[in-house]
Amino acid sequence: MSTSLEHLSGPARRPDQTRSGQDRSEPARPGPVNANSSEKQNQSQNRRLTGDLAMWFLILAELSAFGILILVFAVMQALNSELFHASRLALDSSIGLALTLALLSSGLLAALAVAQVRQARTGRAALLLLVAVLSAGVYVVLKLGEFSHLAGLGFGLEYNTFFTLYWLLTGFHFLHVLLGIFILGWMAERCRRRAYSATNCSALESGVLYWHMVDLVWVLLFPLVYVLN
Amino acid sequence: MTHSKMLIGCWLGLAALSVSTVLLGAAGTSLLLVAGVLLVALAKAWLIIDGFMELRHAPRMWRGLLLGWPIAMATGVLLSRLI
Repeated sequence: MSTSLEHLSGPARRPDQTRSGQDRSEPARPGPVNANSSEKQNQSQNRRLTGDLAMWFLILAELSAFGILILVFAVMQALNSELFHASRLALDSSIGLALTLALLSSGLLAALAVAQVRQARTGRAALLLLVAVLSAGVYVVLKLGEFSHLAGLGFGLEYNTFFTLYWLLTGFHFLHVLLGIFILGWMAERCRRRAYSATNCSALESGVLYWHMVDLVWVLLFPLVYVLN
Repeated sequence: MTHSKMLIGCWLGLAALSVSTVLLGAAGTSLLLVAGVLLVALAKAWLIIDGFMELRHAPRMWRGLLLGWPIAMATGVLLSRLI
């Protein structure tokens, strides 16, 4: 797909590759106007997406689904501000912060793993992905603790509008986290078996992109659900 | 700066911004503070999109689409406050 749809995703070039080789191969053109337009053309040609194009379409679809839920939450909060304020007291923003840091740390480790594979260090990448899974595991444990605490207090899906939306939004996101952990674990094993290389890591990039999408959604969910009164 | 150092820099920024989200949220509920919390969320989204997802050097359309999402969400949340 990445070849047939190259006009959408750009040419195949790793982001850490330099552009100097291509610049040198360009024939000399007279005049500053032509030089500038040639440089712009080169820059435009060198822009590329990491990972597979299909993953980017999936990410757009996921962001659209979460976007609808986030906007519904915001509008319902505006219409029931006192109810949302009182209900939010049952949540602990410090737990929300810990959840955020666990997810972001996992995202960093996954991104570092991709950088290591590009430098042909698949062993280190496997280790980084494994630690990323552990960091995401901290999120899962904390989130399950919060779910269990709220359920124990009787704040279930049908308790009120806030908790209906809370369970839908964070539950939907939680399912994405579980799938992301499975993908990270799978890719760690593939790295251990040296299935990826510096020139063949598009599948790894795509899996890690999915994980960053999960991070990106949480970055908006966290203030909306835990902080904004 | 190497790519790995840039990624660690992004994470440090994200962690600091996450702490400031909680501090801003605890400071009050005025529209200005809400806008501040949303701006912090936008900065975090930008770090993830341009840093972790490597869209800084991606085709402009894709970078615009991804950056447009948090901007649309933050604008929607802010506008809902004016209902």
